[in-house]
Amino acid sequence: MLSCLIQPTSGNAQIDSYEIRKKADAQKIRGMIGLLPEVPGLYETLGAYKNLDYYGQLYGVPKKQRDESIQTTLTNLDLWDRRNEPVGGFSKGMKQKIAIARALIHDPKYIFLDEPTASLDPMAAKIVREYILELKKKGNTILINTHNLSEAERICDTVALVKNRTVKIGNPKELAKGLFTRTISITMQKIPPTLPNDIESLGLVSQAQVIGNRLILNVRNPEEDNPQVLSWLVKQGLQVQFITEEEHSLEEVYLKLIEEAAR
Amino acid sequence: MRWRNAWIVMRKDLDEFKKQKFVIGSIVAMPIILGVVLPLAMFVPMVTMVPLERPWDINGLLQIGSLPADAVVPWINQTLEGASFDATFFQHTRLKNASLTNCIIESCIIENTTVIDSTIQNSSLSSSYLMNVTVIRSEGTELDGRFILAVSSDLAFLKTKPSEIDQVLPMMFNMILMIFIIIPATLPTIIATYSIVGEKNNRSLEPLLATPTTDGELLAGKIFSSFIPSMGSTFLAFTLGVVLLDIVLIPKVGYPLLPNLTWVLSMVLLAPTACLMSVLACVLVSSKVNDVRAAQQLGGFVVMPVIMLMIGVLAGFIFLSPVMIFVFAGFYGCLDLFLFFFARAIFNREAILTKWS
Repeated sequence: MLSCLIQPTSGNAQIDSYEIRKKADAQKIRGMIGLLPEVPGLYETLGAYKNLDYYGQLYGVPKKQRDESIQTTLTNLDLWDRRNEPVGGFSKGMKQKIAIARALIHDPKYIFLDEPTASLDPMAAKIVREYILELKKKGNTILINTHNLSEAERICDTVALVKNRTVKIGNPKELAKGLFTRTISITMQKIPPTLPNDIESLGLVSQAQVIGNRLILNVRNPEEDNPQVLSWLVKQGLQVQFITEEEHSLEEVYLKLIEEAAR
Repeated sequence: MRWRNAWIVMRKDLDEFKKQKFVIGSIVAMPIILGVVLPLAMFVPMVTMVPLERPWDINGLLQIGSLPADAVVPWINQTLEGASFDATFFQHTRLKNASLTNCIIESCIIENTTVIDSTIQNSSLSSSYLMNVTVIRSEGTELDGRFILAVSSDLAFLKTKPSEIDQVLPMMFNMILMIFIIIPATLPTIIATYSIVGEKNNRSLEPLLATPTTDGELLAGKIFSSFIPSMGSTFLAFTLGVVLLDIVLIPKVGYPLLPNLTWVLSMVLLAPTACLMSVLACVLVSSKVNDVRAAQQLGGFVVMPVIMLMIGVLAGFIFLSPVMIFVFAGFYGCLDLFLFFFARAIFNREAILTKWS
């Protein structure tokens, strides 16, 4: 919808003051956006060069700039020597990279990537992910639509969790912090069975449990409470080996949010 | 509309087309089989078995004579008897026992006269000898001669009655001409039906529609990329067919029969407009269906207006004269314009991308 391929049934959206509902604006918006659809949709009988050159021309990129951009991109993708080979013979990961390069041929202000690593093998997915991270480093605004939450967590600065409507928007870590009590994991040589009850009675932690040689604590304010907990444990004569904060994955965040939204 | 964008779309499609060897094969083979091999298969046995050095009637072949620069003043409303004339124009004149060479004879009565290298129009002939003469819209009895090209005329000969083969010839020539109109109308069903729905099925349409290209530019590009190979292949077959038919027929008739004015006009006006009509209809169908096969099936119907013309010509209802070619080309041209604007009006990006049933 934002790339002006389909019209909204209601409401409106603006990209750089252009409205997606207006036909005249839609053409300008399409020129500002680089789109990677779910399926690469390359012309399989044509080479990588011709695929990219075609879109460069349609986006009105001058020939010199187009040639330079294609050469740089294909060289970076190790495809310059194979630029005239039909892309139908390339691997899925390669095709996906060419499709991303196609979305970038006109140096768009905004990049929309739809499931960029879907149906790719782990190696190809890694290649594509690294490529996206490179783009991110260059400062491009990238919007990724994905079901792969671990990927979103690794790549994105901001995530919008959507289930029929936008459930939550924010930084993945901040979302987790807002949803879950922060959890501390303390690894010790030996944990007395009464330790969870004893530490709960201190009033610093809301919940304590033992898993193997780890003491798992839900702490309300770790920055202030952790030193007190640690000094108490040391006073009890217990030997603390490691202390880490347990992190909640975006998947856990998503599931919890969806659960809450359903209530 | 930015024609540059249409040009880019067309060039990409042609680049893709060049890689499809089987499609190119069928696009080239069909016109050659229908427009070259088939006519030769009909004519070669005929000219080898039947002596054609006698009067024969070829409807639809128009060859109008012209007077030399030093032609004499026309004879009008006269009665001339027992004289010889060279390079003279006669109108409403009665010619008896005369000898005429390089003349144009219009609306005259000709009796016991020898006419050589001339053109006769709207006249009445009797007991005359004709040699290398074109007879248009005339009637004649008790005639004799060689190399007579009769157009819309009713001529009766003394020595040689038109055989069954002679009577079939005009129909064959008309049929061959119609083949060259049918070919460019049929070929787009192979290429143009694929143009939009093929991209949709390959999933290459989504990124294409995400570019700033407008509907009109996209359609124009798709139309030209189907039109050029179709017409190119037709012209190739036409040139080959005409040259080979002339090679076969010249030894029998003495001069190249093809291409005449009717054939040239047909190829310059009628074939391109018929081709464009077919391309437009196929692209329109292609933008409305979800399957290439469905597009090809429906695309078959777009040849109907051309088939109707063919039936009209073969049944004798329509005589393909230059005027009729202008009329039909004009009609097809108007239809082409209407189809383009209609296709552009109903081209719906959203429906093409989202409708799969």
